[in-house]
Amino acid sequence: MKILFNKTIYALCLWSGMILMGCGTEQSKTSDRLPILGRREAVEKKDADGNTITDTIYHTITDFAFTGQDSSTITNESFKDKIYIADFFFTSCQTICPPMKAQMLRVHDFIADKPEIEILSHTLDPEHDSIPVLKAFAERLGANPDKWHFVTGDKNEIYRVGQSSYLVTAREDSSEPGGYLHDARFVLVDKDRRIRGIYDGTKPDHVDRLMADLPKLLKEYHTTAP
Amino acid sequence: MSFKKILFFSAITFYAMACGNAQQNQNSDPSEHIATNIQGSVKYKQYMVEGRRLYTQYCSNCHQPDGGGLGKVYPPINKSDFIDNNFEESICIIKNGRQGEITVNGITYNQPMMPIPGLTDLEIAEISTFIYNNWGRDKGLIPVKGVQDILSKCTNK
Repeated sequence: MKILFNKTIYALCLWSGMILMGCGTEQSKTSDRLPILGRREAVEKKDADGNTITDTIYHTITDFAFTGQDSSTITNESFKDKIYIADFFFTSCQTICPPMKAQMLRVHDFIADKPEIEILSHTLDPEHDSIPVLKAFAERLGANPDKWHFVTGDKNEIYRVGQSSYLVTAREDSSEPGGYLHDARFVLVDKDRRIRGIYDGTKPDHVDRLMADLPKLLKEYHTTAP
Repeated sequence: MSFKKILFFSAITFYAMACGNAQQNQNSDPSEHIATNIQGSVKYKQYMVEGRRLYTQYCSNCHQPDGGGLGKVYPPINKSDFIDNNFEESICIIKNGRQGEITVNGITYNQPMMPIPGLTDLEIAEISTFIYNNWGRDKGLIPVKGVQDILSKCTNK
């Protein structure tokens, strides 16, 4: 009897766990403060009085330098005092990129009147996606060049920054359609280079959540100012 | 309730919930099986159902689920003078893709369309039937034989 009871409890836990897990896409919907994502480290240091204190070092976007669609150099400095949304794509991609660009256009329209928010799209195919190709693509998409930066650069550097900083999957893979394996992530970066949200750029409901998160993140930087 | 029953119940619940990939059920209304004309035929309806599925799988990424295209990058195919006026060439493009400029509704587009490898003549007939009987078009069923004749004369191979 006891064994049966234990098994019943076990099965019920399993069952309710499955229900609670659901499809696991709901994240901190009600929280006002966005999480800080990525690996973090605790370091001990001395404060001014010589006491040992513990400080948390968050994952941040590394230094980068790429070239934008108008031939300007785009670096971290270009996003000083800006929040931005980063993604990775290539212009000849016919799989997940067009839906990503359709969704990013929604974000682009949403941030049109928000000077502190910009977009950074990296090509994964710099050999084909030269500056003129990116410029033409951006114009045809209707992207405001002051708002939405399309960048190219050294291929390995783009992949390195993508994988290590933005935590996306991005690499060459001849078995994939178009020749590149990559995911559809939109990565939300705050003014301190920290990742505050990761969204599936092909899914309208995820992008809705991104657009709902943007004002929350802006608010963090305006709590002291009126 | 025995352990096995509970486990079975759990499994069923989990399956039912899954992640919402449930297949669309085919309409099994008996009146559908009475063919009155070619557009009411079972075959036409099958082509439309398959055509919609294939459109979603292969075309809607760029041309968008509503066929409206994307900016000036990917041209629309819902309201499209090119699709209306270039039936045979449109079918060749589905098969072989297209490079270079194309003018649709007075706007010039220039984004290469890659061919979709492995698309069968039947699938092209189904996609064509879907496109040419949607968004206000009414061309009726486009048979495989007709598609094969057109494909044999494509100039953009």
